[in-house]
Amino acid sequence: MRIFRVDSTLVATARIGGLDSHRLLVVQERASASKQVAVDPVGCKPGDWVIAVGSSAARDAAGSKEYPSDLTIVGIIDYWDEATPGPSERRTAKTANGEARR
Amino acid sequence: MNIQRVRSDLVATYRVPSLAEKSLRVVEDHSGNLEVALDPVGAKPGDFVITIGISAARFAAGDPRITTDLTIGGIIDHWSEERWRS
Repeated sequence: MRIFRVDSTLVATARIGGLDSHRLLVVQERASASKQVAVDPVGCKPGDWVIAVGSSAARDAAGSKEYPSDLTIVGIIDYWDEATPGPSERRTAKTANGEARR
Repeated sequence: MNIQRVRSDLVATYRVPSLAEKSLRVVEDHSGNLEVALDPVGAKPGDFVITIGISAARFAAGDPRITTDLTIGGIIDHWSEERWRS
């Protein structure tokens, strides 16, 4: 599962029958990452931090094994600190501090 | 799912039977990388589309026996190049 931030809703009137009328949302993993589209069975608002599943779990999470989703939102995060650094960013921060001290 | 733009049609007459007689399109992502997607919707060049990957692509094609790993799921009503690249 990965953490995404909801960017906006997405309207696609001409769609395959299998997608039904499920809500589609544009989500972004980081501000610099490319935008992706996720199925939303939960009911999120733009700006929410959410957990999403990929691979075949995305089909099950959207309601049925046949549902054609490769990314489905499974929960809204109650509290999330946007500034929480990832492992690579943490390393960069340490290096930056070290250089600053020198 | 990803947001991609249809670049052109793709004709491949000699193909494996498991691809059936499905239409193929060349799609590009926001940095210009090209991929081939199966198109059950009928998208035109220039349309912004939602593409479905991995095993869900086979279900999106309408029959899980179809051997695709990228299928167009829908045409986006309103989208712009600026939003795509930002």
